[in-house]
Amino acid sequence: MDQQALVSLTLIILTFALYIGISVYHRAKVTSDFYVASRGVPAFWNGMAIGGDWMSAASFIGMAGTVMLMGYDGLAYIMGWTGGYLLLTFLLAPQLRKFGRFTVPEFIGDRFDSNVARLIAAIATIIISFTYLIGQLAGSGVVIGRLLSIPSWIGVLIGVFIIAIYATLGGMKGVTWTQVAQYLILITAYVIPIVFMSLQITGNPLPWLTYGSVVDNLGAIDRELGLSEYFAPFDEGSRAQFLALLFTLMVGTAALPHVIVRFYTVSTMKAARWSGAWALLFIGILYLSAPVYAAFSRFVIMNDVVGQPLDDLPAWTEAWVNTGLLEITASGEQGELMWEDLIIDADIVVMATPEIANLGTFVIGMIAAGAMAAALSTAGGLLITVSSSFAHDIYYRLVNPKATDARRLKAGRIAIFVATIVAGILALDPPGVITQIVAWAFALAGGTFFPVLFLGVWWSRINSKGAVAGMLGGLFTTLIYIFLAMNGFILFGIEDTGAGVFGVTVNFILVFVVSLLTEDPPQHLKDEAINLRYPEQMTYEEGEVWMDDSSGK
Amino acid sequence: MRKIEKDVADRYFRARVKLIVTFLTIGFLVSFGIVFFAEPLNQSGIYILGMPAHYYMGAQGAVATFIVLLFLNAVINDRVDRKFGIDESRNEQISGGGSDH
Repeated sequence: MDQQALVSLTLIILTFALYIGISVYHRAKVTSDFYVASRGVPAFWNGMAIGGDWMSAASFIGMAGTVMLMGYDGLAYIMGWTGGYLLLTFLLAPQLRKFGRFTVPEFIGDRFDSNVARLIAAIATIIISFTYLIGQLAGSGVVIGRLLSIPSWIGVLIGVFIIAIYATLGGMKGVTWTQVAQYLILITAYVIPIVFMSLQITGNPLPWLTYGSVVDNLGAIDRELGLSEYFAPFDEGSRAQFLALLFTLMVGTAALPHVIVRFYTVSTMKAARWSGAWALLFIGILYLSAPVYAAFSRFVIMNDVVGQPLDDLPAWTEAWVNTGLLEITASGEQGELMWEDLIIDADIVVMATPEIANLGTFVIGMIAAGAMAAALSTAGGLLITVSSSFAHDIYYRLVNPKATDARRLKAGRIAIFVATIVAGILALDPPGVITQIVAWAFALAGGTFFPVLFLGVWWSRINSKGAVAGMLGGLFTTLIYIFLAMNGFILFGIEDTGAGVFGVTVNFILVFVVSLLTEDPPQHLKDEAINLRYPEQMTYEEGEVWMDDSSGK
Repeated sequence: MRKIEKDVADRYFRARVKLIVTFLTIGFLVSFGIVFFAEPLNQSGIYILGMPAHYYMGAQGAVATFIVLLFLNAVINDRVDRKFGIDESRNEQISGGGSDH
């Protein structure tokens, strides 16, 4: 083991010890701890936990590279994955919090008083979250494997082992505070390299304000090389595809169960609004930095690699060529390397930046620990979601409603442990379809859940038949369009990743048509929907609003 | 518990909806709106912070706007709450621990 591996490993082990320490300190004692951290998480810290929950291994490692390779078209991910928080915070989160349940399927089941709707929602939640989870664990394995030069399956096992301990023990309460720690680690690791790189390239330590000139410069370089400009819009696809992808990512983000459930952990609607604001601020730091990474690394490649003689490339390229992430297919025309000769893996950008900028072993080790933190924090939130769908929605609400609190807590722990092990085994050798499904998770989540959650909160006339029809119709439309698009059938130039547009539209139409063609929902369900318009202190009942301003109990 | 006019409660609701519609419209314009006109913007040669305007909005402007909108929403809604005499500590007691279903 060389010095670099030793430093990385030490940093990773230190962070693991921290995560386990936190979950021992904050271990769950009752079911409410286990699923919603007793609803006592302050908005500021919940915002940070949402940041950790949200930013996955893919955000941390892959997103900057995607922007670098795709140019303007890659920005759909930056806007889509942040814009979802507008929809979530304005349209769903506070109201879902007032409704006051443990899970998303539970909201759907209770709001429409339908166990069929509950079961469909629980199964869809499990499928979406579970595949996403496998993607995280596989991602963490790849990261550990590459950085420590060990086989990636050992990396997966290490990740699974750690997370099984801390999620089982701490439940949502433990996961919340580990996510806070993981957020702080991952954001520090992400920002430090670009600050140094900015000092080297522009002489200014605040890259966010000054990297514009680099972007402009990249356009000039591209023009000179006869390529289409870095910032040229819709170079990789069409405007319709960009807009469809943007829409799909936004509604998908707003409808992902593991994100929504974090809003259940705060005390009130007001706290839910503040959570959303803090969350996007903390998330924004990474999302505003990704295009900076993209611009700087492209700048370095254009200046130091492209146009150089093949036998005189910078030293850092050699290591990445060896890993297969950077391929040089040089024909050696005129002895100089062309941009077209390079095949660059998107993952290289964040991981290679510390080497490019000569930042030394400690920063490279931090990137490793940060990538692990990103994978584990998302995996933790997903595990809670998967296990609560099994143990709470299916076992407690459908199979055994008389279960005692202790028994439910035990069921939750068993579900989370089993889910970790199964996901871990699948992640050892992930079927190729997994990465695909992760890319489709947003279309599936948006197409299945968004319209039903939105109308469940805002429209009292929606009934259970409409909700069931909407969820099934949205899910199948999304699946069918993805299948068709993969086989070359494209409508309006929209590819498989933009399938959410069709799923969401069909879902909305079905909910409206079926609800209006079938009977009115019972009055108490309508009242519950109208009740969500007001803060906790106001209650709506049979056309009258009551204000509870007695002080204390 | 005391009964309040449905009218008052509805005014609270309308104030909130108005905010939501305003904020979502702005959020929609800075993201979808700019993307829709990205090509003419690219040709127009308008620059923000040293880069072409459409690229700036995608890489930074839209996200920054979203963040500002969310904080405005939180602050203004707190004001609406105060105006209607909503007491957050009472809210916490009512929802305290949440309904344990």
